[in-house]
Amino acid sequence: MILKILLSAILFVPLLGGVFVLFLWNRPLVGRIVALGTALTDLFLILTLMMLIFLSGSMAGAMIFVDIAWIPQFGIGYRLAMDGISLCLIFLAAFLSVLSILVSWQEIRERMALFHFFILAMQTGVTGVFLAADLFLFYLFWELQLIPMFFLIGIWGHENRVYAALKFVVFGIFGSLLMLLAIIGLYLHHGSATGVYSFSLFTLLNTPMSMTVQLWLYAAFLLSFAIRIPVFPLHTWLPDAHTEAPTAGSVLLAGLLLKTGAYALLRFGFPLFPDASGFLSPVLIVLGLFGLFYASWIALAQKDIKRLVAYSSIGHMGLIVVGIGIFNALTLSGVVVQMINHGITTSALFIMAGMLQQRAGTRQIADFGGLWKKMPVYSAFFLLFAMASVGLPGLNNFVGEILILVGAFKHNPWVGFLGFAGIVFILVYMLKLVQDLLFGEPSKEFDMADITPREAAILIPLAMIVFYIGLHPAWVLGILEIPVQNIIDQAINTVIPEMITQ
Amino acid sequence: MHSEWLGLIPHMFLAGGGILICCAGAFWAGRSRNALFIIAVAAVSFSGISAGLVAPEKGVFSGMIESGGYARFFTFLFCCITLLTLFFCHQYTNIRERSGDVFLGVMLFAALGMSLMAGALNWVIFFLGLELLSVSFYILIAFGKNTRLSGEAALKYFIMGAVASAFLTFGIALLYAATGSLNMALSLDIAVVTPEKTLVFLAMAFILVSIGFKLSLVPFHLWTPDVYQGAAAPVTAFLATGSKIAVFAALINIVLYAADSVLQQLIPVLWIMAAATMIAGNFAALGQQQLKRLLAYSSAAHMGYMLMALPGVENHGVEAVIFYAVVYALMNLGAFGAIGLLSSAKADRNGKDFSDLDDLDDFKGLGYVYPFKSALLGVCLLSLAGFPPTAGFIGKFILFKAALSSGYIILSVIGILTAIISVYYYLKVVAVLYMTNQPKTLHSQDMGLMGDVACASILTMIVWIGLMPSSLINLIYRIVSFLYV
Repeated sequence: MILKILLSAILFVPLLGGVFVLFLWNRPLVGRIVALGTALTDLFLILTLMMLIFLSGSMAGAMIFVDIAWIPQFGIGYRLAMDGISLCLIFLAAFLSVLSILVSWQEIRERMALFHFFILAMQTGVTGVFLAADLFLFYLFWELQLIPMFFLIGIWGHENRVYAALKFVVFGIFGSLLMLLAIIGLYLHHGSATGVYSFSLFTLLNTPMSMTVQLWLYAAFLLSFAIRIPVFPLHTWLPDAHTEAPTAGSVLLAGLLLKTGAYALLRFGFPLFPDASGFLSPVLIVLGLFGLFYASWIALAQKDIKRLVAYSSIGHMGLIVVGIGIFNALTLSGVVVQMINHGITTSALFIMAGMLQQRAGTRQIADFGGLWKKMPVYSAFFLLFAMASVGLPGLNNFVGEILILVGAFKHNPWVGFLGFAGIVFILVYMLKLVQDLLFGEPSKEFDMADITPREAAILIPLAMIVFYIGLHPAWVLGILEIPVQNIIDQAINTVIPEMITQ
Repeated sequence: MHSEWLGLIPHMFLAGGGILICCAGAFWAGRSRNALFIIAVAAVSFSGISAGLVAPEKGVFSGMIESGGYARFFTFLFCCITLLTLFFCHQYTNIRERSGDVFLGVMLFAALGMSLMAGALNWVIFFLGLELLSVSFYILIAFGKNTRLSGEAALKYFIMGAVASAFLTFGIALLYAATGSLNMALSLDIAVVTPEKTLVFLAMAFILVSIGFKLSLVPFHLWTPDVYQGAAAPVTAFLATGSKIAVFAALINIVLYAADSVLQQLIPVLWIMAAATMIAGNFAALGQQQLKRLLAYSSAAHMGYMLMALPGVENHGVEAVIFYAVVYALMNLGAFGAIGLLSSAKADRNGKDFSDLDDLDDFKGLGYVYPFKSALLGVCLLSLAGFPPTAGFIGKFILFKAALSSGYIILSVIGILTAIISVYYYLKVVAVLYMTNQPKTLHSQDMGLMGDVACASILTMIVWIGLMPSSLINLIYRIVSFLYV
């Protein structure tokens, strides 16, 4: 019972705190501290939840399951389910939310109450997606995320912000609304086949469907997820959104929003439509690989740091898509670990790009150079995160990448080989970026101070996670093992997991 | 009192209030500025309360007017709409020094017309309700008498309305000729078996045309943007919500009566009109640079969404449409009401220019100057666009669920694709409100208590229905289940 209440608290504390901050609109500093306090409280609640779960010893993939009638006329319930995968991701969400507030301490000086409200609302939206076990609830949170991000980009973004914000929402809504139709379609189909009208994920898991129906419904789901991830031809909103967003927006976008797409594909797409998703998974693998190469190639030509990191983000997500497409225990563990890793390293790179922009007022790579001499601590951190992003052994990305690659080799050596080649490609442009920024002669003179204590407080936890997952991945992998197996069981053997319903 | 008359209490309050206000305007010279406003509010409130509380045993008044759950629900809804419109009008008219007498009385008559339409059992009452409604609106639209746009709008609405009435009269006459009955249910039943197929066909076509005019369904929608733009914002709010929902309430009645008879032949027509309205409405709205015109096209598009779910009578299509009607009323009242409040603020500032804010550029950065009023506009726009957790999302969800379960898959896909387009133009307005900077610095203006109340209640309702729609859904399901008995 305590676990259930805790789970709902984790979900809604950010939103409530955000609304409270809104009422502090004329006292910005107090509002900012309250917002930070809210985010920290949420992080603390998640850590408490982890402790409680460990103490009860039921970590073995068992779920906390909440089921309260909400709109009973349509079989809609407030249903939450949490397993190891969700736990890792909601931790990531809370962690990055704290960082986004810290990152904006200097950068955002206008309309602060509104800003923090949107950050915290965003956190509730993302956490909701990671916890929802009801398709209606899932959809609600899925779409709920668009609004805060729209405002974050549009109000506090850079030069071309309104265009980027609108593009972001229109792309997002394009997929979501078609998915809404598919969700209703699935619900009606299940209802007419079995007589049970419910939006519960676990009820809908074993819906008898013909291949045609499955393919149509899955296509709508996949479109929505693929836009969010983003998979190769649907990615064009991302570079604009990332480039124009304020640093906190980029962090939330790269760290959380993209993850919801991959997570939803894993949690909903494959288990709900096992045949169709199996049938279309080669497409996912090909698009993922293509995205990996394409994004790296485009990244090589970028002149703007944030744009480069944005494209690298597409590349990394491409590898994740490959892992999901292959869908075996190795790659899926790799995929979840890689989702966390990507959230950490890409956010770190965006934060560091933001620090540069704040100091120099520009994001052009050509304007910088020789930073190592002026800002040694900054440069060391930058090098660390760049290397992590490339997948240097001992750092976090290596773990995820190696799992995905080994799984890929098992599945088909060519996929493994191409994936490996793609990662090498990432190395090329990241090294180029590092060289252009940190070494060589400075091309313009800026007054650049090194890291402040606040910035250090942001970067050190990130670096700690980079090392922790890189050096001791066993803990995370242990949490993920059984949930991943559950998902595979659902998607391949259509087994419904055992649930705790205290 | 005979129990039959109990069902007419809400109508009597409205009619009595209207007459009282008109008389007071003529004979009570020493009245205070707010006296008539208070009478109007009281009449509407009593009418709404009696509609909610008084349940006559016999749900029919001499075979003409229904006073069962369905009609009472709509009467209550119309009273709420009228009340909120009155609140939105309060400061608007005060500033323009036109807190006049006739205006308030006519609004009450319009509300009476609406509630008659929802309760009509007989084609004559249907016609009377529609005429009362239309005539009241001719006056209300012309209310801003010294602006050119409002005169033009009133004339346009009058001509279109007259044509629509002519079509309706002729349709009713033809139906009577074919079936020999003016009772709506009976005439539609006879319509199936009568040999006069041509007459029935013509009659239904004429009636649909007139309803199409009033609902601004494509291809009868062309008057909408001009009239919405020309009328004063609170009047537009009333026109866009009250009059449309009243006509829709009558249309639902017709569809229910016709469910076992002529509906099957009407479905292809309704299908095409729904698709055309959704497509044309949303595409036309896309290119608008003036907010009222944009919302006019958008409201036409929303009629298309409602029409999409309507024919699925067996699959709770009617319930979905009624639910959406409530949501639609909140969203559009809020949006146009907010335009009115923002315009009032502007009029206060300049002292001279009484025209409404209309160009999108007028709204630049207002989100930070008038946070509360703009929040109302912003939330209503997000709700119109169908974002959770607003009522608009639940409403759209229920509509599409009804349409899909009736098997209108292609229509639903058309609907959802046009809804995607609509998201762009709604958010474009939100972006203007919040993502641009106001060129001049403005002072925040008090909007008056009434405006505050209306703002707060609409915001609360939109979020409340968005999060907890369950009780409203239950209520609507119960009302409709009684209709079938």
